[in-house]
Amino acid sequence: MIPPDSVDEIDLAVLNALQDDLPLVSRPWKAIADRIGISETEMMDRMKRLEESGIIRGISPVLESRSLGLHAATLVALHVPEGRLDEIAATISRYPEVSHNFERAHHYSLWFTIAARNEEGIRKVLNEILHQTGIPASDVLDLPTIKKIKINVRFSFLPEQHQERNVGPC
Amino acid sequence: MFGSLFYPNSTRSVMLDPVDICLLRELERGLPLVPAPYEEIGRRMSLTGDEVVERIRLLKEAGIIRKLRARIDQRKVGISANALVAWKATRPGDSNRGDLLAAFPPVTHCYERRPVPGRWEYTHYTVHHGYSREMVQDEIRAIAAQIGCPDLDYLILFSTLEFKRVPNVRMRENGGDPT
Repeated sequence: MIPPDSVDEIDLAVLNALQDDLPLVSRPWKAIADRIGISETEMMDRMKRLEESGIIRGISPVLESRSLGLHAATLVALHVPEGRLDEIAATISRYPEVSHNFERAHHYSLWFTIAARNEEGIRKVLNEILHQTGIPASDVLDLPTIKKIKINVRFSFLPEQHQERNVGPC
Repeated sequence: MFGSLFYPNSTRSVMLDPVDICLLRELERGLPLVPAPYEEIGRRMSLTGDEVVERIRLLKEAGIIRKLRARIDQRKVGISANALVAWKATRPGDSNRGDLLAAFPPVTHCYERRPVPGRWEYTHYTVHHGYSREMVQDEIRAIAAQIGCPDLDYLILFSTLEFKRVPNVRMRENGGDPT
């Protein structure tokens, strides 16, 4: 965890800019630095610090799943028996087909996504998970993706909000 | 070996070549923090920086790379509230719920999913992030009011623990070795 005051307004501008598609020019950090009004060196120093503190997890491509052969996806919700959340969540997270695995405040308390080449592949992973964990079908919601309508993960970091950080539970 | 990889936006079925696969893997490791990162990636694969840029451009044009951006751990910057909202289907003839929901800028994800008849009638799912649950809740209520969705027809599911969150396509783990 980083101390609250270690991220200043320029850092927030850097974070906002780095969520846009990176310029395809030979010196992309300089192009962004010019826009923000700082030097290339300062830009890179800030990025390095933000990466070291775990705020930037890396600068990488968002890949289109279908073009790489992943044609099926689903969201699964499980009602997890009391006291077994960590164990069951760990079993599920081990699958490379699972990309997101969250506890949520509901009777169905564990929500995870599976992506695979086809429905068959999804079925196989899900059946294996249910078999391993012993969760009955009546405690499972399998919600296959019919249509991806929007995926645009972008956070707007607001300086004023940042100063009165909310440090409560997530 | 690369036979099942096609450019989705192309009229022809163009295969990804092994250099593209190698490039995607390098990019996935993260752009290096050097002044000329594309050149540096090129050096690792015996390409020039210009060739790397051109290949990325073509991969974007083909719809394989959607964008190159920073992955951010928003919780570390105070954006600690995360809600998945499940919305019930609209009445017959009202088929554009997904597009309506997706049009709200704070919505980061919007999916249509197959419900479980009799047990779970929700068909549309959106994801919302914010500095506090109150802010996220207010945002969701405002959206519901604007699209005319009654309170009983949507469900807010706040996350309480994050066990895993990685990109849904990872060349190395689940996308790069088609058989």
